[in-house]
Amino acid sequence: MSEETQMDTLAYSSRMLGWAPLGKFAFACALIIVNLSTSSMLVPLVTLPIGLILMAYSTNFRIPFFIGLALAEAVLIIVLFAGMMSISGTSGNVVWEADILWIHARMTDDSFNYAWLVLLRSLASIAVMISFATSTPIPHLSQAFRQVRMPVEITEIVVLIYRYGFLLLERMEVMWSAASCRMGFNGAKRSISTVASIAVGIFISSSDMADKAQTALECRNYQGYFPVYNQPPKMGVKWLAVCVFAFVAIYLFGLRTEGMVDMYAILSGVLR
Amino acid sequence: MTDFVLEARDVSYSYSQKQPRPSLDGVSLGIRRGARTAILGANGAGKSTLFYHLNGVYRPKSGTVLYEGEPLDYGKPALRTLRSEVCVVVQNPDEQIFSSTVEEDIAFGLLNAGMERDEIERRIVESLFLVGMEGYRTRPSTQLSYGQRKRIAFAGALALRPKVLILDEPTAGLDPQMSLEVIEMVDQLVESGTSVVISTHDVDLAYTWAEDIHVIRGGRLEYSGSPDGFFSDSARAFSCGLKRPTPSVVDASLRPGSAMRPRTNAQLLASLAPEGAAFGKVTVVPVSDGFDASAASVPEGTPIGICGSRTRRAFASGGLRVDHAFNAVDGCMADAVRGRDSVLFCDEEMVGFARRAGRAVEAFGKGAVM
Repeated sequence: MSEETQMDTLAYSSRMLGWAPLGKFAFACALIIVNLSTSSMLVPLVTLPIGLILMAYSTNFRIPFFIGLALAEAVLIIVLFAGMMSISGTSGNVVWEADILWIHARMTDDSFNYAWLVLLRSLASIAVMISFATSTPIPHLSQAFRQVRMPVEITEIVVLIYRYGFLLLERMEVMWSAASCRMGFNGAKRSISTVASIAVGIFISSSDMADKAQTALECRNYQGYFPVYNQPPKMGVKWLAVCVFAFVAIYLFGLRTEGMVDMYAILSGVLR
Repeated sequence: MTDFVLEARDVSYSYSQKQPRPSLDGVSLGIRRGARTAILGANGAGKSTLFYHLNGVYRPKSGTVLYEGEPLDYGKPALRTLRSEVCVVVQNPDEQIFSSTVEEDIAFGLLNAGMERDEIERRIVESLFLVGMEGYRTRPSTQLSYGQRKRIAFAGALALRPKVLILDEPTAGLDPQMSLEVIEMVDQLVESGTSVVISTHDVDLAYTWAEDIHVIRGGRLEYSGSPDGFFSDSARAFSCGLKRPTPSVVDASLRPGSAMRPRTNAQLLASLAPEGAAFGKVTVVPVSDGFDASAASVPEGTPIGICGSRTRRAFASGGLRVDHAFNAVDGCMADAVRGRDSVLFCDEEMVGFARRAGRAVEAFGKGAVM
């Protein structure tokens, strides 16, 4: 099962599946935006647990191994990126300096704090986004966007891409295995050529699939738009109130706590 | 009114003008009302192209397609009505399932036909029951196996309660049990009054199941009529990329010159049975709603067969053992030819079908099974 299929399975089995998709989307957006709105280090420390709790509730603590691995990879990249930021200081007191190969690394208290802020914001945003992604299948979100008057052409294309994306992925997996059986990945040059052939094959398949889908749509009495039997729950006033409240409360909290946490001072004190 | 529910008269069609030979070349055939019809032909013979003509997706370059004796009207409202009454289920379910969940996909055709929500709800429940997928209603279509997707594709068509159901290779890619289940489902539809047309390469299936066959070769109609009429001529079958069915071949080698050939295993056994053989009896028990399988009594050791969606549901909840869960009508008949009594539980509408199967076995003149 591919990662995309696992994520889809997770979303359909989520305990938050019945929540209004637009509400969830707005809440996630509110948390991510408020995360970036103030420079308080405590704001991501508030949004991170919210994201983690929602993620845990949504998935019932069952994150598939491959998705967990992908998340760990993302976190590792962010940590490395934050590490690089912390040694690229230009202002503040220099706390550490060294020449590494041709790079002059300089860590200042400002760059150190800024790197921590970026790291915490990123982790909090990932947690919030994952909680949303693991609870909202794409078709639910797409149908929800119809409620806010998004052009029907866009929502239908999203649903069709979603539907056929899985089929093409399935086909690609079969072609990949078939190529492996025929030693298509024997050596770097041959691997590149095989991947290119698979890509071409998938492209041609997609056009063939589109032709057949058109005929099948006509067979099923397609009238020019995709009707929806079960509309997802609408985003009501409660959701709006929750989003506004969360945004305002965390924003005000952030304004009051700006500069309150100095990671350099805390960690240097601990290390000392 | 004509006896044909659908008819093609001298239909020709090419996908492009550069084609050296048309995909359909002057095809004329009729689909009898309430009959089991099979369209046979090798790959690329034009079977699917013909199907798409029958529900107005393709328009013939020349010739006419008639539904209920009237030429097709290719206007939008008329096509909407036609496609609600003449449903095509394509070979690959992935080409026909568009929605993200099972219930949404079944509702797709119903919503397109402009039905009311209450009616749609009823039909979703009914069609899922018919294909035995009641527990999958809210499942995402991407998470179903091929066989399950095929069932959902059937359910989408059945929900429309079509007058004519056209199935393109309905058993292709299915395991033998699932194939038999599909054929049983199709039989039940025919017994309920639906005209069913299937295309297949499986000559054994066509020979066993169909009342009428139409054979297409290279876009031309080679044969229209009874299966026996076509398969009695080996050379003609081979020239159309087909072969003779197994029961017919076995019987022909053991009973050369016989006028009547068996079409099922039970008929084959009956044809080969010695004169005066003691046949067992098949007791047919009609099953209606509310039937309690655990309360039914059958003598110990007597084989039991089940047939039909209601019967399957009744037996699924426990109760009696089942000896013939698939192809039960033929299985019970074969038991009878071997001298064993059996009991066949089947949905009420399948009783006539079971009795006809019994008469077909008895037609070989070796004994009575009913």
